[in-house]
Amino acid sequence: MRSAEFSTPHSAFRIPHSAFRIFMPSFPFGRAAFWILLLCLFSGTARLYFTAHDARVAASHSETNIKFWTFAKQHYDAYQSAFDTFEKKHPGTKIEDQLVSWVAVTQRLQAAMWSGVDLPDVVEIPIDTAGGYFRGPIDDVGFLDITERVKTAGLLDGMVASRFTSYTSRGHIFGVPHDVHPVMLAYNAEIFKKEGVDADSIKTWDDFIRVGKKLTIPNKRYMIEFEEARSAHLEMCLFQRNSALFDIKGNVIFDGETGVKTMLWFVPLIAAKDRIANNLGGGQILTKAVEDGYFVCLVCPDWRSKSIEKDIPSMSGKMKLMPLPAVSPGQRRTSTWGGTMIGITKQCKHPDLAWQLILHLYLDKKELGQRFNDTNILPALRAAWKQPEFDEKREYWSGQKLGNLYSALAPDVPAQVTSPFIAQGKAKLGEALVDCITYYRANGDKNFESYARTRLKKSGDELRALIARNPY
Amino acid sequence: MKPKTSTIAARGAVITLLVLAALVTLTPVVWLIAATTKNPDDFWSYYFFAPRLSNENFKALFAAIPFGLYVINSAFVTSSVVIIQLFFSSLAGFSLAKYDFKGRNVVTVLMLTTVMIPGQVIMAPLYEQIYRLGLMDTHAGLIIPGAVSVFGIFLFRQAMTQVPDEMIHAARIDGASEFQIYWGIVMPVVRPMVGAFCLISFMGAWNNFLWPQIILHTGSNFTLPIGLNSLVGLQQQQYGALMAGTLLSILPVVVLFLLLQKEFIAGLTSGAVKG
Amino acid sequence: MNNQHRLQHKMAPYIFVAPFLVLFAAFQAWPIIKSLMLAFYVTAGPKNAVFVGTKNFQFLLNDPDFFIAVKNTATFAFCSVLLQLPVALGLAILLSQKWVRGRDFFRLAFFSPQLVGSVFVGVLFSVLFVPQYGIIVQFLNWLSPDRFPLDTKFLADQNLVMPAIIMTALWMYAGHHMVYFLAALQAVDKDLYEAAQVDGASGAQQFRSVTLPGIRPVVIFTLLTSTIGSFQLFELPFIMLGQGSGPNKSGLTVVMYLYQTGFVTGDLGYASTVGWKLAFFVLIISLAQLKLTGALKNE
Repeated sequence: MRSAEFSTPHSAFRIPHSAFRIFMPSFPFGRAAFWILLLCLFSGTARLYFTAHDARVAASHSETNIKFWTFAKQHYDAYQSAFDTFEKKHPGTKIEDQLVSWVAVTQRLQAAMWSGVDLPDVVEIPIDTAGGYFRGPIDDVGFLDITERVKTAGLLDGMVASRFTSYTSRGHIFGVPHDVHPVMLAYNAEIFKKEGVDADSIKTWDDFIRVGKKLTIPNKRYMIEFEEARSAHLEMCLFQRNSALFDIKGNVIFDGETGVKTMLWFVPLIAAKDRIANNLGGGQILTKAVEDGYFVCLVCPDWRSKSIEKDIPSMSGKMKLMPLPAVSPGQRRTSTWGGTMIGITKQCKHPDLAWQLILHLYLDKKELGQRFNDTNILPALRAAWKQPEFDEKREYWSGQKLGNLYSALAPDVPAQVTSPFIAQGKAKLGEALVDCITYYRANGDKNFESYARTRLKKSGDELRALIARNPY
Repeated sequence: MKPKTSTIAARGAVITLLVLAALVTLTPVVWLIAATTKNPDDFWSYYFFAPRLSNENFKALFAAIPFGLYVINSAFVTSSVVIIQLFFSSLAGFSLAKYDFKGRNVVTVLMLTTVMIPGQVIMAPLYEQIYRLGLMDTHAGLIIPGAVSVFGIFLFRQAMTQVPDEMIHAARIDGASEFQIYWGIVMPVVRPMVGAFCLISFMGAWNNFLWPQIILHTGSNFTLPIGLNSLVGLQQQQYGALMAGTLLSILPVVVLFLLLQKEFIAGLTSGAVKG
Repeated sequence: MNNQHRLQHKMAPYIFVAPFLVLFAAFQAWPIIKSLMLAFYVTAGPKNAVFVGTKNFQFLLNDPDFFIAVKNTATFAFCSVLLQLPVALGLAILLSQKWVRGRDFFRLAFFSPQLVGSVFVGVLFSVLFVPQYGIIVQFLNWLSPDRFPLDTKFLADQNLVMPAIIMTALWMYAGHHMVYFLAALQAVDKDLYEAAQVDGASGAQQFRSVTLPGIRPVVIFTLLTSTIGSFQLFELPFIMLGQGSGPNKSGLTVVMYLYQTGFVTGDLGYASTVGWKLAFFVLIISLAQLKLTGALKNE
């Protein structure tokens, strides 16, 4: 031991140490440890205080409490008034609403269900993670089976029935769909005008690509934002073509004929020398890119139209919406991207009340109308679309009537079939996409078709192997 | 003696390299500080500091997550871990350094096993264990499994072997109990090591991510790394708030380091240099 | 010493190591045994387990995702060790020049990234690496506009994800290793240098014959710890890639895979299998390094 180096160990530690001297004359671990001990006691006391405070608050309203979680800020904000009216309608009830992070519902909630720790009573989860909750024996699914309740309430007729598909496993319904999420394209109307493009003339993807080639200026401006590292937009194109990751029986189908064709069509848009699509990432980066005119069009399901309004306020009056171009003339002019279900957890002590809350949130036409103004999200309940709010002109979207535009497309929205392996399926499709893009960048069209076919097949087989392992 | 021109050139090169390396190292930190002072509208418009200062980012941070609560949680978990580790590890180190007892080698072998097997191997069964003990989603589930640091035992054992046996003997003859010897004689001698250990242990616990990520579920229990990371997935990416949170999260460790710097570097390296 | 004291003296060491032993048994030994058992099950969370025999091991051998994870992790470990150690040694040598002024400042500067925990480094760099507007891409574009167009997506291009993570790790750990090297360099016997100078050895010769042998134990120590650490890479890619594994799993590491299978999918059995494989790799690599550096011969 080079004790010389340690001769003045505390020279660097000159915090007033009278406290140390007085209270701990024999404390052998030194000042650093002493202060950390104090920190421990102090923070521990603070924790105790907060816990006790929480418990007191919980005890003070001895009414029935419903703990509600959502991951979407827009929903959270929009529900506030609905919670108030619900509490008035059911005296003695208190909704403890909480906005949680995406990770909380995609990764943490599932783990919490397994371990039976403190859970919300009612929770909204995103469509692409719903499937993951249905792995394991059907009796052990953390959500309450609400098949009977859904049927009794006649929801299968009143709501867009295809939206239930994503929340059904082995014939049991575990969630009520929040939305329909038809897809349109948002476009920068100023650029269209300046370049003399008429949005109505774009009827098919071929038209779109033709215009795109004209408007794209490499590294300055791209016709559309398409994701290249993840499968989201490719999947949307699959849906438009009546395909998906899985069929209704849970078989993997994305490597089928439609899958290959879609891939062959999609990749060159991003990877060719004269590409018209690019992407930079989300959040403030996207905001800046749209403001700079870097992207002319954005894939825009109803929910994203609100994000655009909120994140890029400077573009108000300069943006417009048009239906998605069709694959071939006369075909479906929309697709779907995203979704949310609401479910009741098994730990919920008042399932009937929770069910009432769900009906109140998702079925009250008046509330839905108001909420459409707050979220732009088309609810799954068809009757709600007749509310006056859906017929209002929107300043941001250059006076377009958002509600009418989206609800007109709703009947054509394809179903999103789910599977316990939905997350892995998306990942596998995404891998195939990335590889195909890499191949195309290096080799162009040469042998691309056979490459894409083999690569998709590989992804499909890997996914099938994963599914085959599941003993449940 | 005047340096030759070639020496001057060499010295110039050395200084240039050092300055460049320091620039590369410090730029991200300076950028981080600058980022927290920018108005969200200026965030991407200026590389570093913007002409107008703003506290918007901190406001947005405190509005988005209960940052203060996370700080308290982190402080509690971290300081508990440090204190408990310090006590148990030094105690075990004392036993190994100053007693000749049956099974001493077995203990050393067990310690080596812990070092050799990566913690991730036992993560799944440990998770199950924590579940069965009912410690899921609790701070106890974070503190207890890590209550002894094998690194700490090694560190203290090595330092304590240097304590002269005569001192211990003399104390024993004076009628001191074994624990009094540990508490009153050995610990004060190796006290310089404590500073280094505290800092290392503090940094480890403060920055711990994977295990809390696995066992914490409720927002009010989150520690800083988990809590701050939940901001990443929340609605629109608020880079400014995220950076503000990052800066505030780093500060405690930096302060502790500046206070304990000397002991830390000596403690950190003494083990390795001695081989 | 009276009897009571003698008894106390005899019992004391056991009592003092008892906390370690108890915790070891509960949170180390038992989980190790348990994880050996778990490896033969497929589970859905901690409540549900189905016995599948050796199927986990069989599947692991052909699991393309695990293979990618191992490849990525090995690439990271190899590159980062190969980059970090020489850079750290270089900085240490520069700093150990007696005439350099402000050595405390430089040492503190180089060490400072270590104070930023890996989670926070991940958050910080995920913003530094953004395309088009981020400072890293802006800087590289200024250096070479052709090779680094502004829309270079470090964290969304499968060929750039690993380099980005390796660079981040270099930033974070180089100073850490440097501190060790610096201490080792200062401990090298000064007389040896003088003797070498008298013999007329050049700078390079001195380095080879005096410096390197002098700091060898520290080099081996650093090599081992940084390799083992690299194999446990998790936080940096996990945070930088937004809790995903990057395009085409280009940022997936073994521990990330273990986390995903065990705690997101809920298959603790398969996660245990993956964990054992990781332990096996770490052991093999450590032994190989010890053998290559000749450290085993001395003991």
